[in-house]
Amino acid sequence: MKNLMGIVYTTKDDLTLREMTASRAVAALPVAARYRMIDFVLSNLVNTGIKNVGVIMQKNYHSLMDHLGSGKEWDLHTRIDGLRILPPFLTRENVGEYSGNLDALRSNAGFLRRSKQDYVVFTGSHTVFNAKFDEMFEQHLATNADITVMYAKARPTDVDYSASTSASHAFANIDEEGRVMDMEVNPNVATYPNYLMDVMIIKRTLLMHLVDQAFSHGMHDMYRDLLQKYVHNGLLRVYGYEFKGYHRRIETVKNYFAFNMEVIDHSVRSELFKTNPIYTKVRDEVPAKYLPGARVVNSLVADGCEIAGTVENSVLFRGVKVAPGAVIRNSIIMQDGEIQANCELENVIFDKAVTIRSYGRLIGQRQYPIVIGKNVTL
Amino acid sequence: MRKKNCIAMLLAGGQGSRLGLLTKTVAKPAVPFGGKYRIIDFPLSNCSNSGIDVVGVLTQYQPLELNSYIGSGQTWDLDLHNGGVFVLPPYMSGAGGEWYRGTANAIYQNMAFIEQYDPDYVLILSGDHIYKMDYSKMLDFHIKNGADLTVAVRPVPWEVAPSFGIMNTDEEHCITEFEEKPKQPKSNLASMGVYVFTWPVLKKYLTEDEANPNSQNDFGKNIIPTMLNEGRKLMAYAFEDYWKDVGTIASLWEAHMDILGENPVFNLADHYWRIYARSPIMPPHYAGPNAEIVGSMITEGCEVYGTVKNSVLFAGVVVEEGASVIDAVVMPGTVIKAGASVTRAIVSEECVIGENSVIGEAEGAIALIGYSTNMPAGTHVAAGEQADNNTLKGAGAK
Repeated sequence: MKNLMGIVYTTKDDLTLREMTASRAVAALPVAARYRMIDFVLSNLVNTGIKNVGVIMQKNYHSLMDHLGSGKEWDLHTRIDGLRILPPFLTRENVGEYSGNLDALRSNAGFLRRSKQDYVVFTGSHTVFNAKFDEMFEQHLATNADITVMYAKARPTDVDYSASTSASHAFANIDEEGRVMDMEVNPNVATYPNYLMDVMIIKRTLLMHLVDQAFSHGMHDMYRDLLQKYVHNGLLRVYGYEFKGYHRRIETVKNYFAFNMEVIDHSVRSELFKTNPIYTKVRDEVPAKYLPGARVVNSLVADGCEIAGTVENSVLFRGVKVAPGAVIRNSIIMQDGEIQANCELENVIFDKAVTIRSYGRLIGQRQYPIVIGKNVTL
Repeated sequence: MRKKNCIAMLLAGGQGSRLGLLTKTVAKPAVPFGGKYRIIDFPLSNCSNSGIDVVGVLTQYQPLELNSYIGSGQTWDLDLHNGGVFVLPPYMSGAGGEWYRGTANAIYQNMAFIEQYDPDYVLILSGDHIYKMDYSKMLDFHIKNGADLTVAVRPVPWEVAPSFGIMNTDEEHCITEFEEKPKQPKSNLASMGVYVFTWPVLKKYLTEDEANPNSQNDFGKNIIPTMLNEGRKLMAYAFEDYWKDVGTIASLWEAHMDILGENPVFNLADHYWRIYARSPIMPPHYAGPNAEIVGSMITEGCEVYGTVKNSVLFAGVVVEEGASVIDAVVMPGTVIKAGASVTRAIVSEECVIGENSVIGEAEGAIALIGYSTNMPAGTHVAAGEQADNNTLKGAGAK
């Protein structure tokens, strides 16, 4: 049995994703034609062999709960441990809304206390990547670290500085031995190239102690309030573990769009889906159907689609219908979208179940795609 | 166990030798169908959608893949406290044990399983048909008519009637005569191999049939004729929708062609009667920069760089640049290398079709490539031929 447990922190609605997160948490955001954001981090935990996973939820978590269900798609519907959904609840100390991930952990201290594993993988849900945490855990034990954080070398495109501050961007200065020497949180321009991926390994009892201490000192955010302090005073040994694979943080429409376009690329797709399996909720759709007149190139198409028109460089989620004469370019059409005859779409993002009537025309800019909210008929 | 009104027994033990290389290593019900399903998904989903929640699956030929596919039955909502899906292989008991000798004997050997649920009715199904059917309507018909046995029948074209079990009926849908593959059929109502028996009656006939050393212990040859002779009430339940026996390579191919097109003969995309299947856990499929895909069905994990017309691709199939798949069925995990062409053919799971190979022809019988065949570049397989690693080795030695 792995001596690790997992806690996934899902943040509240992020306004930088506009209509897409008006009624769902970022963790429940549909990506890559059939997945939701949380599938990646949850599959990573499961592929590592972790059987005890708590998912902390905040506002608008109904679509997340619907998606996760009993956890059976991730083999987490077990008697021993399994998936634990942790929604907010009112207590004397907790008024229902968390002001940061430390508050959330404090509210769920009972889950931490009752778990049997000695170590915790604590992750956010904004980042798409495929990895097992075994090597990071080995390093954590070998370096005798108190906390090990996962980082990646940041490319300029990795971070969208226009993102809101609800999720913090942290950068670290890491010495040759891998120890974190300095940390910056939400800088305008980062000094260090080591971008923290919102994944840390820490001893369960230490995490409980830190959360309790932080609460009593009025701290809310793990990175800004707590980690940074301990890196500076040197009281905790904080180490970095470098992740070298493909990763993408999604918090604005711009990088949501960019990520989905990147997944069309063969190398990104095979790295993201073939390294380890990524599990998601099964919808029992029939295979996608190509009708006479269909022309589909360089696109990702999910099951349940019916295509009679033209689709180029686009991502079609499950059950999308494209009528004859319709043309879709560089666009993302979520589940059950209906593109009627002779429509023309370019650089648009359609949320779930959007219908555009015949001869509709919608052309966005690549740098600023048009987003249409759920259940809208144009 | 709590009492059940009706339970289903699914005969999945046949070898399916008419499917040639396709059933060399798997039982017929485990043969892939329709892009993401296996044949057994149809009767199991029908049961689940009809509210029948106890299904015994009788297996004995190459059961490994079928067993692991069925698993806990969760795919079809058949993992229940009181009921579910059960794989029933032949077993040893105090007095001995033996293989299933015939369809009736297979049920006879599992009478103890059936008795656990003390059912009023037993539904007998077979594992080689593609259809969507609400068994609860047939059960209602059976109960309303107070029948001992109801046989689901379907009108077939007169010219093919001699190859079916034909039911002759009166105006009240009572079966008056049953003829197995008659040369001069008097009716075109073919038995679909779907039976509802009143359990106490079936139990009596199974026990008597077992005691008869001359019996072949078969429903069609022994049980039904005996019941008719003894004046039991046998009803024919007419089923008008799509139904196809996919016991041969030609019919399996035809059934795949029936699911294609704008208004398919057999519509799989039915939200009110979904067919459930195990998910292959793969990303959505990808259509490449020069892909040409029309009139086809394509599922998760596929990568298409070449041409696919009027075909069905299963999960994880790769069609490389310049390759073409026309009027064909390509099963999970197979790779069609650059420049190869597959026409009017069925290619099994996990094959590699070498570059510039030519499989099948635009006319004539269906070509078949067996499981996990590694076909060298430039191989030709003519219409109606079957090839796998063994036949290719043989050809090379010549």
